[in-house]
Amino acid sequence: MKSVAVNLLGNTSDAEDAVQEAFLKLYRGLPAFRGGSLLSTWLYRILVNTCRDLGRRRARSPEVPEEAVDGAAAPSRERGAPAVDQTLRLTLERLLLRLDPLPRTVFVLFEIEGFKHREIALILGIPEGTSRYALFEAKKALQTAILTSRRARAET
Amino acid sequence: MSFSCRDLDDALRGQEPAALEAARAHASGCASCREALAAWDEITAEAMTLRREWPSPDLWPRIRRELEQAARQREARSGWRWSFSGRLSLAAAAALVLAPIGWLILHGPGHPSVGPTAAGRFLSEQALRDVERHEAEYVASIERLAALAEPRVQQADSPLLAGYREKLRLLDAAIATCRAQVERNRWNAHLRRELLAIYQEKQRTLQQLMEQET
Repeated sequence: MKSVAVNLLGNTSDAEDAVQEAFLKLYRGLPAFRGGSLLSTWLYRILVNTCRDLGRRRARSPEVPEEAVDGAAAPSRERGAPAVDQTLRLTLERLLLRLDPLPRTVFVLFEIEGFKHREIALILGIPEGTSRYALFEAKKALQTAILTSRRARAET
Repeated sequence: MSFSCRDLDDALRGQEPAALEAARAHASGCASCREALAAWDEITAEAMTLRREWPSPDLWPRIRRELEQAARQREARSGWRWSFSGRLSLAAAAALVLAPIGWLILHGPGHPSVGPTAAGRFLSEQALRDVERHEAEYVASIERLAALAEPRVQQADSPLLAGYREKLRLLDAAIATCRAQVERNRWNAHLRRELLAIYQEKQRTLQQLMEQET
Protein backbone atom coordinates (compact mmCIF):
# COMPACT_ATOMS: atom_id res chain seq x y z
CA MET A 1 0.00 0.00 0.00
CA LYS A 2 2.85 2.40 0.80
CA SER A 3 4.35 1.70 -2.60
CA VAL A 4 1.10 2.55 -4.39
CA ALA A 5 0.80 5.75 -2.38
CA VAL A 6 4.40 6.89 -2.88
CA ASN A 7 4.12 6.44 -6.63
CA LEU A 8 0.87 8.37 -6.72
CA LEU A 9 2.01 11.15 -4.40
CA GLY A 10 5.73 11.36 -5.03
CA ASN A 11 7.06 11.36 -1.46
CA THR A 12 7.19 8.96 1.44
CA SER A 13 5.78 11.29 4.07
CA ASP A 14 2.55 11.93 2.15
CA ALA A 15 2.40 8.24 1.27
CA GLU A 16 2.41 7.23 4.93
CA ASP A 17 -0.23 9.85 5.71
CA ALA A 18 -2.38 8.46 2.90
CA VAL A 19 -2.06 4.88 4.16
CA GLN A 20 -3.00 5.99 7.67
CA GLU A 21 -5.98 7.96 6.40
CA ALA A 22 -7.11 5.05 4.21
CA PHE A 23 -7.15 2.67 7.19
CA LEU A 24 -9.16 5.15 9.24
CA LYS A 25 -11.66 5.65 6.43
CA LEU A 26 -11.94 1.89 6.09
CA TYR A 27 -12.57 1.51 9.80
CA ARG A 28 -15.19 4.26 9.82
CA GLY A 29 -16.88 2.80 6.76
CA LEU A 30 -16.72 -0.81 7.93
CA PRO A 31 -20.26 -0.89 9.35
CA ALA A 32 -21.58 0.29 5.97
CA PHE A 33 -19.62 -2.33 4.04
CA ARG A 34 -22.13 -4.73 2.53
CA GLY A 35 -19.67 -7.17 0.95
CA GLY A 36 -20.46 -6.16 -2.64
CA SER A 37 -16.74 -6.39 -3.35
CA LEU A 38 -13.68 -7.76 -1.61
CA LEU A 39 -12.68 -5.63 1.32
CA SER A 40 -9.12 -5.50 0.00
CA THR A 41 -10.46 -4.05 -3.27
CA TRP A 42 -12.37 -1.52 -1.23
CA LEU A 43 -9.26 -0.68 0.78
CA TYR A 44 -7.25 0.00 -2.38
CA ARG A 45 -10.10 2.09 -3.77
CA ILE A 46 -10.09 4.15 -0.58
CA LEU A 47 -6.30 4.48 -0.77
CA VAL A 48 -6.36 5.68 -4.39
CA ASN A 49 -9.09 8.22 -3.62
CA THR A 50 -7.24 9.33 -0.49
CA CYS A 51 -4.06 9.85 -2.52
CA ARG A 52 -6.03 11.89 -5.03
CA ASP A 53 -7.56 14.05 -2.27
CA LEU A 54 -4.29 14.40 -0.42
CA GLY A 55 -2.49 15.34 -3.62
CA ARG A 56 -5.04 18.08 -4.21
CA ARG A 57 -4.86 19.28 -0.60
CA ARG A 58 -1.11 19.40 -0.52
CA ALA A 59 -1.10 21.16 -3.91
CA ARG A 60 2.59 20.44 -3.90
CA SER A 61 4.46 20.92 -7.13
CA PRO A 62 4.97 17.46 -8.57
CA GLU A 63 7.91 18.60 -10.67
CA VAL A 64 10.64 17.01 -8.59
CA PRO A 65 9.84 14.38 -5.98
CA GLU A 66 12.04 14.66 -2.90
CA GLU A 67 13.50 11.19 -3.43
CA ALA A 68 14.65 12.15 -6.90
CA VAL A 69 16.87 14.83 -5.45
CA ASP A 70 17.81 13.44 -2.11
CA GLY A 71 19.31 10.03 -2.64
CA ALA A 72 19.47 9.36 1.11
CA ALA A 73 15.71 9.68 1.39
CA ALA A 74 15.04 7.23 -1.40
CA PRO A 75 13.27 4.07 -0.24
CA SER A 76 15.00 0.91 -1.35
CA ARG A 77 13.63 -0.91 -4.33
CA GLU A 78 11.97 -4.25 -3.88
CA ARG A 79 14.34 -7.06 -3.00
CA GLY A 80 15.16 -9.12 -6.06
CA ALA A 81 14.28 -6.35 -8.49
CA PRO A 82 16.67 -6.12 -11.42
CA ALA A 83 19.49 -3.58 -11.48
CA VAL A 84 18.17 -0.17 -12.36
CA ASP A 85 19.14 2.44 -14.86
CA GLN A 86 19.01 5.26 -12.30
CA THR A 87 18.65 7.97 -14.94
CA LEU A 88 15.69 6.29 -16.59
CA ARG A 89 14.21 5.47 -13.21
CA LEU A 90 14.35 9.07 -12.03
CA THR A 91 13.01 10.27 -15.36
CA LEU A 92 10.12 7.84 -15.06
CA GLU A 93 9.37 8.91 -11.49
CA ARG A 94 9.30 12.54 -12.54
CA LEU A 95 7.23 11.94 -15.68
CA LEU A 96 4.80 9.70 -13.83
CA LEU A 97 3.74 12.55 -11.58
CA ARG A 98 2.94 14.67 -14.62
CA LEU A 99 0.48 12.16 -16.05
CA ASP A 100 -3.26 12.63 -15.71
CA PRO A 101 -4.66 10.90 -12.62
CA LEU A 102 -6.33 7.92 -14.31
CA PRO A 103 -3.45 6.86 -16.59
CA ARG A 104 -1.02 7.41 -13.72
CA THR A 105 -3.06 5.31 -11.31
CA VAL A 106 -3.53 2.50 -13.81
CA PHE A 107 0.18 2.55 -14.67
CA VAL A 108 1.12 2.36 -10.98
CA LEU A 109 -1.30 -0.47 -10.27
CA PHE A 110 -0.54 -2.51 -13.40
CA GLU A 111 3.12 -1.97 -14.24
CA ILE A 112 4.54 -1.27 -10.80
CA GLU A 113 2.29 -3.19 -8.43
CA GLY A 114 1.37 -6.08 -10.70
CA PHE A 115 -2.41 -5.88 -10.52
CA LYS A 116 -4.41 -7.34 -13.40
CA HIS A 117 -6.78 -5.18 -15.45
CA ARG A 118 -9.69 -7.13 -13.93
CA GLU A 119 -8.54 -6.14 -10.44
CA ILE A 120 -7.82 -2.53 -11.43
CA ALA A 121 -11.30 -2.28 -12.93
CA LEU A 122 -12.77 -3.38 -9.59
CA ILE A 123 -10.56 -1.06 -7.54
CA LEU A 124 -11.23 2.02 -9.66
CA GLY A 125 -14.80 1.15 -10.59
CA ILE A 126 -14.10 1.38 -14.32
CA PRO A 127 -14.53 -1.09 -17.20
CA GLU A 128 -11.55 -3.31 -17.98
CA GLY A 129 -11.28 -1.75 -21.44
CA THR A 130 -10.88 1.69 -19.87
CA SER A 131 -8.09 0.34 -17.68
CA ARG A 132 -6.32 -1.07 -20.75
CA TYR A 133 -6.70 2.17 -22.65
CA ALA A 134 -5.51 4.26 -19.69
CA LEU A 135 -2.41 2.07 -19.46
CA PHE A 136 -1.70 2.59 -23.15
CA GLU A 137 -2.18 6.35 -22.72
CA ALA A 138 0.25 6.40 -19.80
CA LYS A 139 2.92 4.37 -21.56
CA LYS A 140 2.51 6.32 -24.77
CA ALA A 141 2.96 9.62 -22.92
CA LEU A 142 6.04 8.27 -21.11
CA GLN A 143 7.46 6.85 -24.34
CA THR A 144 6.96 10.14 -26.19
CA ALA A 145 8.58 12.13 -23.38
CA ILE A 146 11.57 9.79 -23.18
CA LEU A 147 12.10 9.74 -26.96
CA THR A 148 11.77 13.52 -27.21
CA SER A 149 14.28 13.99 -24.43
CA ARG A 150 16.74 11.52 -25.96
CA ARG A 151 16.45 13.06 -29.41
CA ALA A 152 16.96 16.54 -27.98
CA ARG A 153 20.06 15.33 -26.13
CA ALA A 154 21.39 13.63 -29.26
CA GLU A 155 21.03 16.88 -31.22
CA THR A 156 22.98 18.97 -28.73
CA MET B 1 0.25 -9.10 -43.01
CA SER B 2 1.84 -5.83 -44.14
CA PHE B 3 2.89 -3.67 -41.22
CA SER B 4 3.73 0.01 -41.49
CA CYS B 5 5.01 2.55 -38.96
CA ARG B 6 1.44 3.83 -38.55
CA ASP B 7 0.36 0.45 -37.21
CA LEU B 8 2.78 0.50 -34.29
CA ASP B 9 0.52 2.34 -31.84
CA ASP B 10 -2.43 0.06 -32.68
CA ALA B 11 -0.27 -2.97 -31.98
CA LEU B 12 0.89 -1.56 -28.66
CA ARG B 13 -2.64 -0.53 -27.69
CA GLY B 14 -4.22 -3.88 -28.53
CA GLN B 15 -1.37 -6.03 -27.16
CA GLU B 16 -2.39 -8.85 -29.51
CA PRO B 17 0.53 -11.30 -29.76
CA ALA B 18 0.30 -11.56 -33.57
CA ALA B 19 0.27 -7.78 -34.02
CA LEU B 20 3.17 -7.36 -31.59
CA GLU B 21 5.15 -10.01 -33.46
CA ALA B 22 4.50 -8.19 -36.72
CA ALA B 23 5.57 -4.92 -35.06
CA ARG B 24 8.86 -6.45 -33.93
CA ALA B 25 9.49 -7.92 -37.36
CA HIS B 26 8.87 -4.51 -38.89
CA ALA B 27 11.07 -2.78 -36.29
CA SER B 28 14.04 -4.94 -37.19
CA GLY B 29 14.24 -3.02 -40.45
CA CYS B 30 12.94 0.38 -39.25
CA ALA B 31 15.15 2.50 -36.96
CA SER B 32 12.37 4.80 -35.79
CA CYS B 33 10.02 1.98 -34.78
CA ARG B 34 12.93 0.07 -33.25
CA GLU B 35 13.71 3.07 -31.07
CA ALA B 36 10.04 3.48 -30.13
CA LEU B 37 9.66 -0.20 -29.27
CA ALA B 38 12.89 -0.20 -27.25
CA ALA B 39 11.64 2.77 -25.20
CA TRP B 40 8.32 0.99 -24.66
CA ASP B 41 10.08 -2.14 -23.41
CA GLU B 42 12.39 -0.10 -21.19
CA ILE B 43 9.40 1.57 -19.55
CA THR B 44 7.89 -1.83 -18.78
CA ALA B 45 11.18 -3.15 -17.38
CA GLU B 46 11.99 -0.07 -15.31
CA ALA B 47 8.44 0.24 -13.97
CA MET B 48 8.95 -2.94 -11.95
CA THR B 49 11.86 -1.31 -10.14
CA LEU B 50 9.64 1.57 -9.02
CA ARG B 51 7.93 -0.70 -6.49
CA ARG B 52 9.26 0.65 -3.24
CA GLU B 53 9.53 -0.52 0.31
CA TRP B 54 10.97 1.39 3.20
CA PRO B 55 10.89 0.84 6.93
CA SER B 56 8.21 2.80 8.75
CA PRO B 57 8.32 1.50 12.31
CA ASP B 58 6.07 4.32 13.54
CA LEU B 59 3.35 3.93 10.94
CA TRP B 60 1.41 0.96 12.29
CA PRO B 61 1.50 2.18 15.93
CA ARG B 62 0.25 5.54 14.62
CA ILE B 63 -2.58 3.87 12.72
CA ARG B 64 -3.41 1.77 15.77
CA ARG B 65 -3.61 4.84 18.00
CA GLU B 66 -5.87 6.58 15.49
CA LEU B 67 -8.09 3.49 15.22
CA GLU B 68 -8.35 3.23 18.99
CA GLN B 69 -9.28 6.88 19.21
CA ALA B 70 -11.87 6.43 16.45
CA ALA B 71 -13.27 3.42 18.32
CA ARG B 72 -13.54 5.47 21.52
CA GLN B 73 -15.31 8.27 19.66
CA ARG B 74 -17.69 5.79 18.07
CA GLU B 75 -18.41 4.29 21.45
CA ALA B 76 -19.02 7.73 22.96
CA ARG B 77 -21.39 8.60 20.09
CA SER B 78 -23.28 5.34 20.45
CA GLY B 79 -23.69 5.85 24.20
CA TRP B 80 -26.88 7.87 23.90
CA ARG B 81 -28.42 5.24 21.62
CA TRP B 82 -27.53 2.58 24.15
CA SER B 83 -29.18 4.59 26.87
CA PHE B 84 -32.50 4.51 25.01
CA SER B 85 -32.92 1.70 22.49
CA GLY B 86 -30.33 -0.61 24.06
CA ARG B 87 -31.88 -0.51 27.50
CA LEU B 88 -35.34 -0.70 25.99
CA SER B 89 -34.53 -3.90 24.10
CA LEU B 90 -32.78 -5.41 27.13
CA ALA B 91 -35.81 -4.51 29.22
CA ALA B 92 -38.08 -6.18 26.65
CA ALA B 93 -35.89 -9.31 26.63
CA ALA B 94 -35.78 -9.35 30.41
CA ALA B 95 -39.57 -8.98 30.52
CA LEU B 96 -39.99 -12.02 28.28
CA VAL B 97 -37.68 -14.10 30.47
CA LEU B 98 -39.12 -12.87 33.77
CA ALA B 99 -42.82 -12.95 32.86
CA PRO B 100 -43.31 -16.73 33.36
CA ILE B 101 -41.33 -16.58 36.63
CA GLY B 102 -43.44 -13.69 37.84
CA TRP B 103 -46.62 -15.53 36.88
CA LEU B 104 -45.44 -18.59 38.86
CA ILE B 105 -44.61 -16.41 41.86
CA LEU B 106 -48.03 -14.81 41.86
CA HIS B 107 -50.21 -17.74 40.75
CA GLY B 108 -48.19 -20.87 41.38
CA PRO B 109 -48.69 -23.41 44.14
CA GLY B 110 -46.14 -21.83 46.43
CA HIS B 111 -43.58 -19.01 46.53
CA PRO B 112 -40.18 -19.97 45.25
CA SER B 113 -37.32 -19.78 47.70
CA VAL B 114 -35.75 -16.80 45.95
CA GLY B 115 -37.37 -13.42 45.50
CA PRO B 116 -38.19 -11.99 42.06
CA THR B 117 -35.24 -9.57 41.98
CA ALA B 118 -32.72 -12.27 42.81
CA ALA B 119 -34.36 -14.63 40.30
CA GLY B 120 -34.23 -11.98 37.59
CA ARG B 121 -30.59 -11.23 38.27
CA PHE B 122 -29.75 -14.92 38.26
CA LEU B 123 -31.52 -15.52 34.94
CA SER B 124 -29.95 -12.48 33.28
CA GLU B 125 -26.50 -13.51 34.46
CA GLN B 126 -27.16 -17.01 33.14
CA ALA B 127 -28.33 -15.65 29.77
CA LEU B 128 -25.20 -13.52 29.53
CA ARG B 129 -22.99 -16.50 30.31
CA ASP B 130 -24.82 -18.39 27.58
CA VAL B 131 -24.07 -15.61 25.10
CA GLU B 132 -20.43 -15.56 26.20
CA ARG B 133 -20.12 -19.32 25.84
CA HIS B 134 -21.50 -19.25 22.28
CA GLU B 135 -19.27 -16.30 21.46
CA ALA B 136 -16.23 -18.19 22.71
CA GLU B 137 -17.13 -21.21 20.56
CA TYR B 138 -17.59 -18.97 17.52
CA VAL B 139 -14.29 -17.20 18.15
CA ALA B 140 -12.50 -20.53 18.58
CA SER B 141 -13.83 -21.75 15.22
CA ILE B 142 -12.68 -18.54 13.51
CA GLU B 143 -9.26 -18.92 15.11
CA ARG B 144 -9.06 -22.47 13.72
CA LEU B 145 -9.88 -21.02 10.28
CA ALA B 146 -7.21 -18.34 10.86
CA ALA B 147 -4.65 -21.05 11.68
CA LEU B 148 -5.53 -22.84 8.42
CA ALA B 149 -5.16 -19.61 6.46
CA GLU B 150 -1.91 -18.59 8.17
CA PRO B 151 0.45 -20.12 5.54
CA ARG B 152 -1.41 -18.22 2.78
CA VAL B 153 -1.24 -15.03 4.81
CA GLN B 154 2.50 -15.40 5.37
CA GLN B 155 3.18 -16.20 1.72
CA ALA B 156 1.17 -13.22 0.49
CA ASP B 157 3.04 -12.61 -2.75
CA SER B 158 0.55 -10.50 -4.66
CA PRO B 159 -0.85 -7.07 -3.85
CA LEU B 160 -4.31 -8.53 -3.25
CA LEU B 161 -3.03 -11.15 -0.82
CA ALA B 162 -0.93 -8.50 0.90
CA GLY B 163 -4.13 -6.47 1.11
CA TYR B 164 -5.83 -9.39 2.85
CA ARG B 165 -2.94 -9.60 5.31
CA GLU B 166 -3.19 -5.90 6.12
CA LYS B 167 -6.95 -6.16 6.42
CA LEU B 168 -6.62 -9.07 8.86
CA ARG B 169 -4.19 -7.00 10.94
CA LEU B 170 -6.70 -4.17 10.94
CA LEU B 171 -9.52 -6.49 11.97
CA ASP B 172 -7.41 -8.03 14.75
CA ALA B 173 -6.63 -4.54 16.04
CA ALA B 174 -10.33 -3.65 15.91
CA ILE B 175 -11.21 -6.91 17.70
CA ALA B 176 -8.68 -6.21 20.46
CA THR B 177 -10.01 -2.68 20.96
CA CYS B 178 -13.65 -3.76 20.93
CA ARG B 179 -12.99 -6.74 23.20
CA ALA B 180 -11.31 -4.49 25.76
CA GLN B 181 -14.43 -2.29 25.74
CA VAL B 182 -16.72 -5.32 26.09
CA GLU B 183 -14.73 -6.58 29.06
CA ARG B 184 -15.25 -3.22 30.75
CA ASN B 185 -18.98 -3.38 30.07
CA ARG B 186 -20.25 -6.93 29.66
CA TRP B 187 -23.89 -5.81 29.44
CA ASN B 188 -23.48 -3.48 26.49
CA ALA B 189 -25.37 -5.24 23.69
CA HIS B 190 -24.28 -2.64 21.14
CA LEU B 191 -20.61 -3.41 21.77
CA ARG B 192 -21.26 -7.13 21.56
CA ARG B 193 -23.00 -6.71 18.21
CA GLU B 194 -20.08 -4.63 16.97
CA LEU B 195 -17.58 -7.26 18.11
CA LEU B 196 -19.61 -9.98 16.44
CA ALA B 197 -19.74 -7.96 13.19
CA ILE B 198 -15.95 -7.63 13.19
CA TYR B 199 -15.55 -11.36 13.81
CA GLN B 200 -17.96 -12.08 10.96
CA GLU B 201 -15.89 -9.81 8.72
CA LYS B 202 -12.76 -11.69 9.76
CA GLN B 203 -14.44 -14.98 8.94
CA ARG B 204 -15.50 -13.71 5.48
CA THR B 205 -12.00 -12.37 4.85
CA LEU B 206 -10.38 -15.66 5.79
CA GLN B 207 -12.80 -17.54 3.55
CA GLN B 208 -12.12 -15.18 0.63
CA LEU B 209 -8.40 -15.53 1.22
CA MET B 210 -8.63 -19.33 1.15
CA GLU B 211 -10.67 -19.14 -2.05
CA GLN B 212 -8.11 -16.95 -3.84
CA GLU B 213 -6.35 -18.61 -6.77
CA THR B 214 -2.86 -19.72 -5.94
